[in-house]
Amino acid sequence: MIWEVFRQKKAGDYHTHCGNVHAPDRDMALLFAEVQHGRRMPTNSLWVVPKDEIGEVDTEDVAFGGTTDKSYRWAMTYNFEAAAEEVAASESEQSEAEQQRRSVVEGDD
Amino acid sequence: MQSIGGPIGKWLLTIVYGREMDIETVKERAGPREFSAKDDMPEEYRKAATRMIQFHANSEIMGAYLERPFIRQAPSLERKLAFSAKTQDELGHGQLLYRAAESLGIKTRDEMLDELANGEGKFLNCFHYPMESWVETPMIAFFVDGAAMRRQATLKNTSWEPYAHAMDKVCFEEGFHVKHGEAILHELMTGSKKEQEMTQEAFEKWWPRIIQFFGPTDKQSTHHGFASEVGLKQMSNDELRRAFLNSYVPKAEKYGLEIPDTPRITKNDDGTYEVNEDDLDWDEFFQIAKNEYEPGVGQIDGRKKAQEAVAWVRESMDKHEQGIYGGGESPQAAD
Repeated sequence: MIWEVFRQKKAGDYHTHCGNVHAPDRDMALLFAEVQHGRRMPTNSLWVVPKDEIGEVDTEDVAFGGTTDKSYRWAMTYNFEAAAEEVAASESEQSEAEQQRRSVVEGDD
Repeated sequence: MQSIGGPIGKWLLTIVYGREMDIETVKERAGPREFSAKDDMPEEYRKAATRMIQFHANSEIMGAYLERPFIRQAPSLERKLAFSAKTQDELGHGQLLYRAAESLGIKTRDEMLDELANGEGKFLNCFHYPMESWVETPMIAFFVDGAAMRRQATLKNTSWEPYAHAMDKVCFEEGFHVKHGEAILHELMTGSKKEQEMTQEAFEKWWPRIIQFFGPTDKQSTHHGFASEVGLKQMSNDELRRAFLNSYVPKAEKYGLEIPDTPRITKNDDGTYEVNEDDLDWDEFFQIAKNEYEPGVGQIDGRKKAQEAVAWVRESMDKHEQGIYGGGESPQAAD
């Protein structure tokens, strides 16, 4: 069976998907993941997950974020100077996320 | 794990899970995002982290319930949409945090939600006070959310990794809440004279509670020492309160709000603000902290009723889950 592999670069980071392996059981899947995905890339931890256990929904199925104008959900809509640095940080994260969404939708990413 | 008690239970756990980390090691290693579910943390750490995260999760839920009526009472479609989006976000934050708390192995999500319903669950002082009028909404949505965000930004560096990961998403979303709150405040303070007066009145009512948001001074805080030694808490109550005042007093003044005379707030030579803690009603604060403050009990019971009203949803979902994964068989892909 196939196991999807998730690698965490350093402690405290998120585990992100990096590939998959064929293996008959979990222990072998971990071993193969170690060999295939943990040797050169900086690795602190690996997860293996049976492929069949993963559910997926993608842009073929749904419009993420909806199809109506939801600008009221974004900090940038409210045109005031951020009250504090953490508010400004949140706003710039949101602004970056929105730009990435846009460029994907418009196809220049 | 909770059901295994006593020295024999402890011995069994040691055999099954290996030796738990001792407190000294925890204190030495305590850095940002240092510990996760695979570390065998001592019970003292797991309990302290559970207390802190559960409090945070409960506060998200109770805050959402406090603001919910204003989805209906919003004066415009934009505000209605924003308030419903915000309330939805806050409930989501609660769920994220219950998951982070659950990962410590002390309490389950169901246990924590039940504790909140039966009055044992603790949550932020500000969410014990009912909100009656639209002019009060920026007191929560701008000032209290701003105060919460100040605290949450520091918790991105907490030592319990699942808690820090929850904070990444919470802080990402929270910027919208604070700025939307500011937009309401701006609108009210540039509105009619009547609106401005009503907003000032609401501000005077809420201001001392907002100052108390950060809890008692460090000297009086019972849990601070340990939580900061093991890296759960990143900044003391006093530091957080000062940072909040430095950002939000100028904002309040900018919109023409007058800072009430009590509690006395002094401006230092370097432009930072200091509050005279003795001017605040700490009896009321500690009564609230015990869930014994009358209006707050109403808030708790209100949520309990809402939770009971939708019990059928949870039950049908549980039944459905049982149907799929129940009956002692492991999930399909484990073979």
